[in-house]
Amino acid sequence: MSKTILIGSPNSGKSLLFNRLTGLNQKVANFPGITVNINSGKSLAQPSNEFLDFPGAYSLQTISGEEKIAVDAFYQALQDPEISSVVCVVDATRLEKGLIFALQVINACAEYQKPLIIAANMGDVLEQHNLSMDIAGLEQALGIPVVQISAKSGTGLDQLQDLAINHRQLPSPYTSDIIASDESVNHRQAQQLAEEYGPKGDLLINSQTRLDQFFLHSWFGGLSFLVIMYLLFQSIFTWAAPVMDGVESSLQFMAEIILPLLPEGVISDFTADALFGGIGAFLVFVPQIFVLTLVVGMLEDSGYLARAAVICHKPLRLFGLTGKSFIPMLSSVACAIPGIYAARTVDSPRKRWLTYLAIPLMPCSARLPVYSLLIAAFIPASNMFGGLIGWQGLAMFGIYVFGILCGLLVTALVSKTNKAMQSDLPFVLEMPPYRLPSWRPLLRNAWSRSKHFVTKAGKVIFLVTVVIWVLGYFPNQGASLGESWLGQMGQWIEPLFSPFGLDWKYGVAILTSFLAREVFVGTLGTLFGIEGGEENIISLAEHIQNSGLPIGAGFALLVFFSIALQCVSTLAVLRRETGSWRLPTQLFISYSLFAYAAAWLTFVIVQAIAG
Amino acid sequence: MTLWDLKQGTSAKVDSFVSTLESSYRTRLSELGFHPGELISCVLSPSLGAPKLYRVNNSVYSLDDSVARLIKVGSDEQAA
Repeated sequence: MSKTILIGSPNSGKSLLFNRLTGLNQKVANFPGITVNINSGKSLAQPSNEFLDFPGAYSLQTISGEEKIAVDAFYQALQDPEISSVVCVVDATRLEKGLIFALQVINACAEYQKPLIIAANMGDVLEQHNLSMDIAGLEQALGIPVVQISAKSGTGLDQLQDLAINHRQLPSPYTSDIIASDESVNHRQAQQLAEEYGPKGDLLINSQTRLDQFFLHSWFGGLSFLVIMYLLFQSIFTWAAPVMDGVESSLQFMAEIILPLLPEGVISDFTADALFGGIGAFLVFVPQIFVLTLVVGMLEDSGYLARAAVICHKPLRLFGLTGKSFIPMLSSVACAIPGIYAARTVDSPRKRWLTYLAIPLMPCSARLPVYSLLIAAFIPASNMFGGLIGWQGLAMFGIYVFGILCGLLVTALVSKTNKAMQSDLPFVLEMPPYRLPSWRPLLRNAWSRSKHFVTKAGKVIFLVTVVIWVLGYFPNQGASLGESWLGQMGQWIEPLFSPFGLDWKYGVAILTSFLAREVFVGTLGTLFGIEGGEENIISLAEHIQNSGLPIGAGFALLVFFSIALQCVSTLAVLRRETGSWRLPTQLFISYSLFAYAAAWLTFVIVQAIAG
Repeated sequence: MTLWDLKQGTSAKVDSFVSTLESSYRTRLSELGFHPGELISCVLSPSLGAPKLYRVNNSVYSLDDSVARLIKVGSDEQAA
């Protein structure tokens, strides 16, 4: 099998091209440095050829450990006989920047005897603005094939694939008559080529600047940032609510059809309690995961996130972080794992380490089912200002802000008291152009994330649900949950959770949630299912309301879940990224103790206020 | 004067880098376009000390004071 390397400078559209060529679903965003691993996939058109998507790089001369790993991997791949060609992707709208890197790639390919093709991406943007570039001229000047493509619309991809397989002519190092110091000769050559063959005019940059003047304005910028963030959280409820109701009604409808068909006894009870009660309660929240991933993806794709990083830089610096920490922190709102990977874009080792401390406290989507459940149980579903603002959405915004503030306080405290890795890299961030989001990849990514959430968390939830159901159902066939094996075990752990008003059922649900947070909902659904007997097919929030849980305990649970690090996958990925178990172990222990203490304090305060 | 002192809507040519700037970072800044002789425009200078936006050819970068103060520019600034 022949292999083709895809390489290019950050934000050149390389990952979108990879997805187009392979039909895979590599994460794409309009933010520099989003590809952090080397991904591979077979070509859709030519299955005998495989594409390797390398992380974007500004230069083959590295300045950080992560860049060195990526560039070393590229040089190693160039020595692999299976690599038959290299495609260097450049953004045609910012040709000079792409060519600075492409000229280095030409020299590397010439040295290692690998055919090279330049893909001038964003052809659709040029066309949209009536701009063009001299492809034939650039091709002649460089002595290698140059293809104008649009990874977004798919134009030019057939020609590119054909060249990737059939073009075998080796490149020669690029030379010109420019005489300058080593440091700037490459830049001068790229500048000259871009001036001669690139699109003419300032149309794109001027429209970008006009939008920046609004979105980065001292007052409007901050205000629009707050509005966009608020809408993000409000949308989780308002956009997802009809679909959530639909899922809940469908589950109830299915239960009403299936349960009467089953013989009374263990099978019927298991189906009602564990399947519809436990797993069903968790499935209701999947539409929210979809909406959250979609909205975060829209922000990434539009180019706004880089502006948000600029807005957040100064405030984040007060907490020992940098504006670049904002992207991993926001990614962690969908899931901590991509957030931890995205922290590689934080080039300063100290700030990256501090970002790792904040990430587990970001309100991830696994917390969402728990928050939604507790908010639905304790906060009225009423609106104010003519339906513009809902109390539940506001409560969700509040608990998200609480998690973020906890993360910032931790980094501020550690930053002030720990002086490790003090040497820092300064803040330089490229501003990508504003773009209208591409809906298809965004919807595909949101769907894939939701599916991954169901299949990955679903397996754990199913296993835990079955174990919990067996322990809660026997030995008395569900006659009394308190006298079941689980009930007896629950009495032992009740003292641990009774200081914040929780009975043993919530204690068991919390303990199982240390595998994954969302297991809490499934476990609680199963337990209330067993307890409720035949009348269990009501929403879990209603079960909680009927259980007489004090409001202080509900708030304590919210606080506990917003701090505790209950995610085995996060710990494993942190270990992988930091190279040892030290940081994950420290975070697990300290955040568990912090969560417990904060939950107890919350219970005491809320109960005192509630009287 | 340094790049950080450049007012919004004005341009100036890069003179040199402050000697304390690490050589690897000097190379990277040069590759991004901030190299001696290059004309840089300050396209946005928000208040409250937030990072400023600088245009180099057809790209825009955000730099904070910690790095923009390390790039010396000519004093003959001109309207962009």
